[in-house]
Amino acid sequence: MSSHRENKATIIVTAVLAVLILVPSLWGFGMKLTEFIALVRGDVDGIFAISPVANYLLASLGFFCLLLWATLNGMFRDIEEPKYHMLEQEAKLDEASIKATPSDH
Amino acid sequence: MTDEALQSDDALSTPATHASLVDEKIVLAYFVAALTFISISMLGGFLMAAQLLRHNPLNGIEIFSPGRWRMLHTNAIAYGFLANGFLGLLHWVIPRLTLRPVLDRRLSWLIFAAWQVVVLATAVGILLGQAQGLEWGETPTWIDPLAQLGLLLVAINFMTPIIRVKGPMYVTLWYFLAAFVWTFLTYAMGNFVPEYFVSGTAAGAVGGLFIHDLVGLFVTPLGWGLMYYFVPILLKKPIWSHGLSLVGFWGLAFFYPLNGIHHFLYTPIPMFLQYGAIISTIAVELVVTTVVINFFGTIWGRGREVLTNLPIRYFYTGMVFYFLTCLQCAMQTTLTFQALIHFTDWVVGHAHLVMFGVFSMWIFGMMTYLIPLILKRDWYSNKLCEYHYWLSAAGLAVMAADLILGGLFQGWSWSSLQPWDRSIDVSFPFWMIRIWAGLSMFGGLVVFLYNFYMTWRSEPEPAMDVAVVPA
Repeated sequence: MSSHRENKATIIVTAVLAVLILVPSLWGFGMKLTEFIALVRGDVDGIFAISPVANYLLASLGFFCLLLWATLNGMFRDIEEPKYHMLEQEAKLDEASIKATPSDH
Repeated sequence: MTDEALQSDDALSTPATHASLVDEKIVLAYFVAALTFISISMLGGFLMAAQLLRHNPLNGIEIFSPGRWRMLHTNAIAYGFLANGFLGLLHWVIPRLTLRPVLDRRLSWLIFAAWQVVVLATAVGILLGQAQGLEWGETPTWIDPLAQLGLLLVAINFMTPIIRVKGPMYVTLWYFLAAFVWTFLTYAMGNFVPEYFVSGTAAGAVGGLFIHDLVGLFVTPLGWGLMYYFVPILLKKPIWSHGLSLVGFWGLAFFYPLNGIHHFLYTPIPMFLQYGAIISTIAVELVVTTVVINFFGTIWGRGREVLTNLPIRYFYTGMVFYFLTCLQCAMQTTLTFQALIHFTDWVVGHAHLVMFGVFSMWIFGMMTYLIPLILKRDWYSNKLCEYHYWLSAAGLAVMAADLILGGLFQGWSWSSLQPWDRSIDVSFPFWMIRIWAGLSMFGGLVVFLYNFYMTWRSEPEPAMDVAVVPA
């Protein structure tokens, strides 16, 4: 029961932090993107601004595709499970390694 | 992830063991290389600090001129210490997390040898005056293709076991996967784009992206990825929230790449790019806050470990420094703040806070944990391990505080239009303190090297024959 409550609290904290981070950042990014389009359209010198922005968009596009792929492939379905699995796997690996060690040591 | 009876991928009938997965010799070789290069780097830093105090012992020798030592100092830390340290640690962590060895152990040794050639050739090239004109990208142009090829091989060697993992991945593997792609792209962007394809302001903007992406997209994801592995292992409890850790990862992925322009505020780079960089820098601070909350949530109720467990103390000291440095970053990238501190020692203090206070401390912590496991014997002296920690942490804290404060005095001196010489006079006491703080950090390293050497010379302990027992 308490673990269920803890999970719920974790989800709420995660969601609140995600919104707090994403909303202002997306708003800022959107504003600057609008300015960028206006600059490139209206000023011949604006073209040199494309170089760093293109770098950013290329990198971000790749990661956006990765995020989509990961979501569609269920990478975030049981989002807390990998942290338990990692520790269990470590313990089993240590156990297997100890068993595999020759007994004369 | 799946661990069906903990079986390795290439031979499904063979249960995976530590020995079958991890090549401990290469981990140790990388540690030795890393410690060699940090010694050279610190020596370079000391000589540069002595030069500022007008006591350069190598005065008048062209190849050892202070400007070249300075570049050697920064390059040896980035490519010699951090890269070697991380590569060694990845050879331990990735096979254990994925239950698959790296693609090819011979390829690992080839990469090891090639990387040492790259770093040594960079050092020699810099000393001979062949540095490329880009901060942290001074690697001479004739080495760039070899370094780029090396990074490609690193990505192939480590990504192969990761992409074979089925099901939801642990956050460490997300960070590593991204780091291999980012580092390859970042190196190419910084070393080839301004050199051959763009010039002027656009090249400056790309240079800014390169400097910062090297920190944020090479060092940061590897560092945090390793923390997400070692902290739960040492505390024997899972990370507080895996979901929150993924918010941190994806936040870094989307907000970090635009940060670098903040190195060039008040330049002819369009203001929307400068503002964009400021906003994304502040957004990254929020992301960092989630990561730090997650780690402090993990140690909640086990705070005593910071006192009793030295690697954990290294890790959490680095995390506190990381939060401080990112907070400082979010402030110093505003236009108001930047007008005061640009070109001052504030920036040097900030750089030391992140490179030594965070990532070097983490690597020292991980070495402190792993060296006894690899050598299968306890440390020659635990007291010397403590000295190393305190000399490093205290030295760094004093150095960072001193340079940050000194930077403010320099900025005020310049903004009040006093003669240049006056700002030098103002800086002198701060530079004096800096050299003593640096000597403390160097002393810590010497103590660690001595302890490492004496540990290596001692007899292995049969009880530690299996390198899996947590500290």
